[in-house]
Amino acid sequence: MDFTTYYSLASMVKAGRRKASDKDVISFDLFDTLFIRRIHNPDLVKLPVARYITELAEQHDRHWHWRKVQQLRDDIERRHRAETGTKFIDHEACYPLFMHELLEEIFQNSYDEVLLEKVTDYELAMENSMLVPRRMLVDWIKELAGAGKKIFIISDMYLPSTHLRQVIKYAGLGEWIDEVISSADSFLAKASGKAYPMIAEKYSVLPSAWLHVGDNPISDGLRAGENGIEAMIIHDPREDQRKSIVKRYYNYGVNEPFWRGRILQQLMAPLESENGKNSVLYSEGYNFLGPLIGVFIQQVARFCREKKITKVFFLSREGWTFKRYWEKAVPHLFPAGDLPEIDYLYVSRMALAGASCAYQGLTKINAGIAFLPTGNRDFRDVCRIFSLRPEAFTSHLAKFNLKADTCLSPAHEGYDPESRKNFDELLEDASFQEEVKRQTQEPSLAMQRYFAQAGMFDHKNVALVDIGWLGTIQRFLFEAIAHRPDCPTCFGLLFGATRGISYPESEKNILKGIMYDRNCFDLAASTLFYAQDIFEEACRAPHPTLNGYKLTEEGFELTFRQTDDAIGQAELEQDGYFVPLQQGIIDSAERFAAAAAFLGYHFDDWKPWINYLFVSKLAFPRAKEVAKIRHRHHLDDFHGSKNPRSNFGKGLVPLWSQPQPQLKFNPFLRMRCFFSHLRRRINE
Amino acid sequence: MKSPLNKRYDLEGLEISRLARLALWRKIVPMGNFRGGPGGKCLAVLMFLHYLGYPLYLALARYGNRLHLLRRIVVKYRF
Repeated sequence: MDFTTYYSLASMVKAGRRKASDKDVISFDLFDTLFIRRIHNPDLVKLPVARYITELAEQHDRHWHWRKVQQLRDDIERRHRAETGTKFIDHEACYPLFMHELLEEIFQNSYDEVLLEKVTDYELAMENSMLVPRRMLVDWIKELAGAGKKIFIISDMYLPSTHLRQVIKYAGLGEWIDEVISSADSFLAKASGKAYPMIAEKYSVLPSAWLHVGDNPISDGLRAGENGIEAMIIHDPREDQRKSIVKRYYNYGVNEPFWRGRILQQLMAPLESENGKNSVLYSEGYNFLGPLIGVFIQQVARFCREKKITKVFFLSREGWTFKRYWEKAVPHLFPAGDLPEIDYLYVSRMALAGASCAYQGLTKINAGIAFLPTGNRDFRDVCRIFSLRPEAFTSHLAKFNLKADTCLSPAHEGYDPESRKNFDELLEDASFQEEVKRQTQEPSLAMQRYFAQAGMFDHKNVALVDIGWLGTIQRFLFEAIAHRPDCPTCFGLLFGATRGISYPESEKNILKGIMYDRNCFDLAASTLFYAQDIFEEACRAPHPTLNGYKLTEEGFELTFRQTDDAIGQAELEQDGYFVPLQQGIIDSAERFAAAAAFLGYHFDDWKPWINYLFVSKLAFPRAKEVAKIRHRHHLDDFHGSKNPRSNFGKGLVPLWSQPQPQLKFNPFLRMRCFFSHLRRRINE
Repeated sequence: MKSPLNKRYDLEGLEISRLARLALWRKIVPMGNFRGGPGGKCLAVLMFLHYLGYPLYLALARYGNRLHLLRRIVVKYRF
């Protein structure tokens, strides 16, 4: 019997519906027919498994390079195939048998069945992550099963049918499939045609009542036909195109570091039913912000393992997205374990600022931080930020010729440098500092109780993960707990460290920017300056900001900002607007982890592509991208409500604040902004 | 409404043509460290595959056995 080749899935399914009407059994080939692979070469899935075995071996104090593991696996598998070839026509191998032998060879006396189970689970997870069921075939299978046809899956594969069932179950097809037949069980394969009569006999199927669907013209077409089975072969040029693209990206990435990030994104990309139409913001979350956050989280996890950090605190509110991303990605990125505990810590600059004064008082540099935002003008703003009551300081202020509303910021009308000098002298006054410490005692105690409950003081090394930028939260946090003998070493890991003011680093208080750090000249990554607020809004948790820690009889209480005023409502509106963007970020996490684990590349490998993403998306965005991604509202409660003098800070309007007509029709705008940015970075 | 991966198997919002434009600008404006960048040949091949890959592979699927000359060119230049 002859077979027919189809060049599109739609035409094959259409013809299949007609042909299947008088058949009892419809069998499908599994790989490259019912499932497509994200990668061009299925053998590449074995490489992450070899790396996993290496990590497990390290835990048993056995030092194997993953390439050696892979070579040994290939040798054993080849030998098994040759041995099978002496008894059967098909040179098949069976995964549990050769993997058992491989692990025994590597682990020697420490080998046990649990190891084989672990490695098998990981291999199946990697297979699953690289396989996607073809939507049209899945729909057709459901239709056939509904019509009472028997559905068989037949595969020439080293995984036995029990393992293949898991792969099928993972794809959500388990209930529709009647039998799964693998050549690894019987060593009778489709390639020789021996599988077909064996199946016909075992399941009592008449060849004339059997339709087989596959992709290989020999195994699935010719051999089926020789056994009297009608066969349909799919040769989809779209698949050829996709695999050819993946192959080039993969191969170019081996020699050209620039392409390593691109192949990561190509492997992350959704296929078939995963790739549904969605909001443009979803695509931006999936293709732009998701990989950036993924690379950041991967590097945070590596850093924690290197520095033996045992607890990671994701700081509110941006840490909420980072923590969710970690939960979805990191277990796949580091399958051998040895990962720190994680927790979400409710903090804010406003909540910690006051607590930081309880033991050291209000320092000159901290008071200076209060005047960085141009919306802050006088001592009342200092009190708002550091949770102080201004009326208690009237006599202290008068002593230095100051009032609560004396202008202390050069950004405002009426600023007199003499007043600022008087204010600096006030900060050295002992009675003033006593009053500051007295007022901030209670919030500080409440904060310490909360931190103790969160386990902050149970670890020697902790990581504080936040979006950025100056490290003010970590500065206040460390100052608030530095007096304690059980204060841990705090490693601040920021997405971007813009370091507007110098950070007081010490042996126990370390700050590092992962994607960008102003201490290292990195022009491409410095384009973060273009749109910092967007990163904040994209990662922000859907809960209001923390106002402070309140001491109660039972312990402490977290007090959050109200949401019923205009600012609170604006923030809720912003949250709603960015829902698809955040969904895209979170949906990309598992795919990022699978692709990164598969490729085995690290931060330095991704960096050139990440730099391209920053420059392309932030410094040279399309007008419609700015219109879509630009946030609608941004709350900064550190920023007061006072207006600076009209000519303060006037200059080139930032690119992301330009009106749409300028962005659309001014051909030199982006380059002008970029040169201005370049000049500022060089002048730093 | 768009899909993250378009019909040309290119990333929505990060198309290969956008990369090619930026790579050209990079020749005259310093833009940071791309560690060698994409390279002209790689870009040309990938642009061809993204934009014209489908007709090419359709022709190869249908008439591949008759296109020996094209195969010889591909093998010779190792694309």
